[in-house]
Amino acid sequence: MKGRLGIRIRSIVRRSMLGYGLMLCLVAAAAPPKVLHVALGSAETGFDPVMTSDLNTAAIEQQLFESLLTYDYLARPAKLVPRLAAAMPEVQEGGKLWIFTLKRGVWFAPDAAFTEPRREVTSADVVYTLMRFMDPKNRSPYKFLLDGKIVGLDERAEMARRTGHFDYDTPVAGLQMLDRYRLAIRLKATDYNFGHAMAQPMMGVVAREVIEKYAGDTASHPVGTGPYRLGRWMRGARIQLLKNPNFRQERWHFTATNEQDQRLVREMEGKPIPSIDEIDLQVVEEPQSAWLSFGKGELDILGIPAQFAPLALEGDRLRGDWRARGIRLERSVDPSIAYYFINQEDPVLGGQGADKVALRRAIFLAIDDAEMIRVMAKGQAIRNAYPIPPGVAGYDPGYRSLLNFNPWLANRLLDAYGYRRGRDGYRQLPGGGELALHYTTGLSSQDRELDEVMKKSLDRIGLRFISDKRKFPDIIRAERQCLIQFRLSGWVADYPDGDNFMQLWYGPHTHENNASCYRDATWDRLYEATLTLPDSPQRDALYHRLARRLELQGVTKVSTSPVRNVLSQPWVMGFKVHPILPSVWAYLDIAAEHAAGRAP
Amino acid sequence: MTHPGMAMFLLRRLLHALLTLLGVVFLVFVLFNWVGGDPATLLAGKMASAEDIANVRHQLGLDLPLGSQFLLFLEQVVRGDYGESWATHERVSTIFWTRLGPSLTLLLPLLLLQTLLSLAVALLVAAWRGSWLDQGVRVVSTVAMSISLLVYIIVGQYWLAYVWGWFPVKGWSDSLGTNLSTYAVLPILLGLMVSIAPSVRLYRSFLLDEIDQDFVRTARAKGLSETRILWVHVLRNAAIPIVTDVLMGLPGLLTGAFLLEHFFAIPGIGREVIMAVERSDFPLIKATTVYVALATLLTNLLGDLLYRWLDPRVRLE
Repeated sequence: MKGRLGIRIRSIVRRSMLGYGLMLCLVAAAAPPKVLHVALGSAETGFDPVMTSDLNTAAIEQQLFESLLTYDYLARPAKLVPRLAAAMPEVQEGGKLWIFTLKRGVWFAPDAAFTEPRREVTSADVVYTLMRFMDPKNRSPYKFLLDGKIVGLDERAEMARRTGHFDYDTPVAGLQMLDRYRLAIRLKATDYNFGHAMAQPMMGVVAREVIEKYAGDTASHPVGTGPYRLGRWMRGARIQLLKNPNFRQERWHFTATNEQDQRLVREMEGKPIPSIDEIDLQVVEEPQSAWLSFGKGELDILGIPAQFAPLALEGDRLRGDWRARGIRLERSVDPSIAYYFINQEDPVLGGQGADKVALRRAIFLAIDDAEMIRVMAKGQAIRNAYPIPPGVAGYDPGYRSLLNFNPWLANRLLDAYGYRRGRDGYRQLPGGGELALHYTTGLSSQDRELDEVMKKSLDRIGLRFISDKRKFPDIIRAERQCLIQFRLSGWVADYPDGDNFMQLWYGPHTHENNASCYRDATWDRLYEATLTLPDSPQRDALYHRLARRLELQGVTKVSTSPVRNVLSQPWVMGFKVHPILPSVWAYLDIAAEHAAGRAP
Repeated sequence: MTHPGMAMFLLRRLLHALLTLLGVVFLVFVLFNWVGGDPATLLAGKMASAEDIANVRHQLGLDLPLGSQFLLFLEQVVRGDYGESWATHERVSTIFWTRLGPSLTLLLPLLLLQTLLSLAVALLVAAWRGSWLDQGVRVVSTVAMSISLLVYIIVGQYWLAYVWGWFPVKGWSDSLGTNLSTYAVLPILLGLMVSIAPSVRLYRSFLLDEIDQDFVRTARAKGLSETRILWVHVLRNAAIPIVTDVLMGLPGLLTGAFLLEHFFAIPGIGREVIMAVERSDFPLIKATTVYVALATLLTNLLGDLLYRWLDPRVRLE
């Protein structure tokens, strides 16, 4: 009897457990999808990585495609880690030979282009992806990452230019498939930064059969191995990213480097990547609209537009009522610089004569960087005089600039070198001719403010200001032709290494991106020496000399680096601003209570 | 007008339209090459070499002689195929037709409401000319016209959408019903606040011109009701300038309402055209200009035919 009762009890317990389990399954199945709502400040331009040039598109491609390497989510300064690669590459022959081993079992997202049910990524896909950058038909804006680097690849591109056809079938000497998962990339010269090139989102690996199936419209058919795949797409308005069903099992595991990170680790450790079911991207070009949407809770993450910083912040902190709502503020200095340059080939300002150098240095000394930060950046920038910004390898936090704001010294310099004031109060050339500075800016309202700040600066030292207004494409073209006299420009890190910034003044880059058209044999020799060195104190010392020489010769004045302020709603978990990765959505989660429609 | 006369009229107008279109095509081509900027420097990327820029120019056909480029443009106009966008690689025809939908969803109701409401108010104040109502509407119209659309948008979006939450701050969906009932309501309302005032003043003056005519006095003498006089006799005679005004607004539908689209994140053709100009995306600029020119020519023709229909005394010559 006792035994039968026991069996019945066990049976009831089993049924109850089964029922409870079933209920849990149903509840889980009915759990509302987690959706992250994000605004893009400009419309996407299509999703073929090789054709990508803008940051918003790159942010989306970061989730759709995977490159060989990427950057650790939490480590600062940014640190390279494997993504499609199973481990960091073996770098041999003094940085000339890079051997990558791919992870096994990485599958492309499902697509009709594939004949097999699941298509695995192999080293042939990586070779094909790299070759596409050099195909003239793709006119890739990021071709420079491979230009002149891989043995045999430039010659293949040259042949394509001549014949009108890029040969993808004949092997390239510098791109050797060692086996299905191993690849050796042989470079023409030592390049310790090649790993950074392999971490760019536009280096996301694609499959040849997909590109060939959708030839002519590849930008509409992104098929990658990333954590998300493209869902509904209303061009220029709304982009839906859904979990890629073929994405491998990956868990959130990053090491905290500070106290704030430890909260993220506690929140996220061990969660699947990705945890959010859907990313809802909305193109919102107008900052007011994005700002108000975030305030209403319609957006989950928002970079504070500069003009709204005074409304959102109290000093360096988020305003009190928003803090009370649980909204979080992430602040970090962007890996970019704003710098003034003077065209060294300009007939009035250029040249290495002592009077010309003095004039250029006086101009730079008259610029009040604090005013620029206050007026232009609404306080959201730091004074950074070094050509390499914080967070980028090679940055020198102890650098002391010679060109800090000092109008008294600027006036003394001009007086000493014979730039006398005329009857109208403006200075003339030492020989007596008219001296006027043509300052080039764009056509926006912000550019008008730039003009006003510069006019005020030059008035301080009696130099006549003339505004040179041009459309942005015209500015770029004129810069390349060394026709701009004087301008405030900017550079954002493509990768977090000092070389990406120092190359801006390299002589052979004149008519490319050396906008100051600066050609100095000593400077070039020192710069070339940095290319043979990895990130090291020796290289830093050379960078220091290069930076100082730019100031001494009055070539450039590095002014500021912007501060990025990003807000996240209280229900967003695991968020941290990354200085290089254009998007981090796969590393985030949404509080389940919020996803279920309740407050967190 | 006899049928042969009408055929001659249409033939003549079509010939004029063709010549005008040719002029527009030539003007766009000259302007782009003169002040349009060099798209190749932007498209080649920020670290492009001179060789890369030359390659982009070659791929886009910008290295061809100007005469050949112009002939290619003409060929595109004839075929109605402008190739693909230089910036996004999307077919221009796809861009145009997919972005036109949102613009029309916004602007057609706006144009319709603007016309009907303006006409209704204009009839009302014309009937009570000089009354406090007339004076009040004139003052309100003048004030409304003096305020920029930008102010309406910024203030309206802040108070009506953000503070009071009556509307979404911005957004668009792929459902026409959702757009008309949810996302387009506030932009249409704000658009109306700007566009209705000048129309009311214009239509009022058209109606007053007719109210003073002899035929109105005769109609009154015959004992017709004021309502009939106003709705049938006055309105019919004022219809020609009103139709002209409405038709003049039609080609604008093709270029969208940039500010409304920009602030309310509506993926319309206005926003696309502005982006195309910023990016020197010539294929899209070409297509839009030609389509707008065509629409203008066609609406002019339609206008002439409508005049004839509204007033048989009008001769089409």
